[in-house]
Amino acid sequence: MENNLTPEQSLALIDNMINKAKNKLADDGFLLIFWGWLVAASALIHFVCIKLQIEWGQYVWVTLMPFGGIFSAVYGIRQSKRVKVKTYVDSYLSALWIAFGIALFLTIIFIGLHGVKSTYFFLMLLYGIATFVSGGILDFKPLKIGSLFSFACAVVSVFCNETDLLLVIAVAIISSYVIPGHLLRLKFKSENV
Amino acid sequence: MFKDLDPILHSQLRLAIVSLLVSVKEAEFTYLKEQTNSTAGNLSVQIQKLKEAGYIEVEKKFKDNYPQTNCRITSAGIHAFDEYVKNIKQYLTKSK
Repeated sequence: MENNLTPEQSLALIDNMINKAKNKLADDGFLLIFWGWLVAASALIHFVCIKLQIEWGQYVWVTLMPFGGIFSAVYGIRQSKRVKVKTYVDSYLSALWIAFGIALFLTIIFIGLHGVKSTYFFLMLLYGIATFVSGGILDFKPLKIGSLFSFACAVVSVFCNETDLLLVIAVAIISSYVIPGHLLRLKFKSENV
Repeated sequence: MFKDLDPILHSQLRLAIVSLLVSVKEAEFTYLKEQTNSTAGNLSVQIQKLKEAGYIEVEKKFKDNYPQTNCRITSAGIHAFDEYVKNIKQYLTKSK
């Protein structure tokens, strides 16, 4: 087994091993789907509450977002324990989403200072940046296309009132997270049968 | 005919390990074992040889009270792998 490789066998072996490592899709889309539905549901519940003049609508955010944060942290720690190989794509994505999380947190905590409209505008830009770059790293077009919807929604939000803004953010998150997330999950499942 | 080929890399299992490691940031021992279909004993020996040659770094730690061995390629390993592939390609071109 030691030094009996022909050049053809060497190249075939290298090719086989590199493909084994390369073919592993780095993301199953779970967190995109989770956050997509969570934010879309929060925005739509808040919107319905405003329309029905129910006062507690805004509390849906302060309840569901921290829950989402804790759930994601626990999920992330569990996943990292299971992982046997770390690719460069994994570390690029992880750095991107950590930076995104910090930027999102800082944008949201100063909502009182900047106002709802500016905050939602920047949130949609952040969704767009994170999903566009993820799409580039994963070479996955639906994420890039979805991100463009998020950028478009950010522009639309400038001309909306605060209530309609909730519908705009729901559209932005469904197009940039939920739909690409489900498509990514389908691709992941088909590649990991 | 393989005079120019790096003897450290010109071995089936060591070449497989290095080929896997050039594609990823780091990999666990168990991942390398699964992908190369090798035995733990043989894999350990070949990893040690690659480590002594300076081609890979090996980090041993504990995860959930179980020992874990992580391997990653070094810049010397990447350079050696590049040279190896170049030499193989040259040989193939000459032999055509």
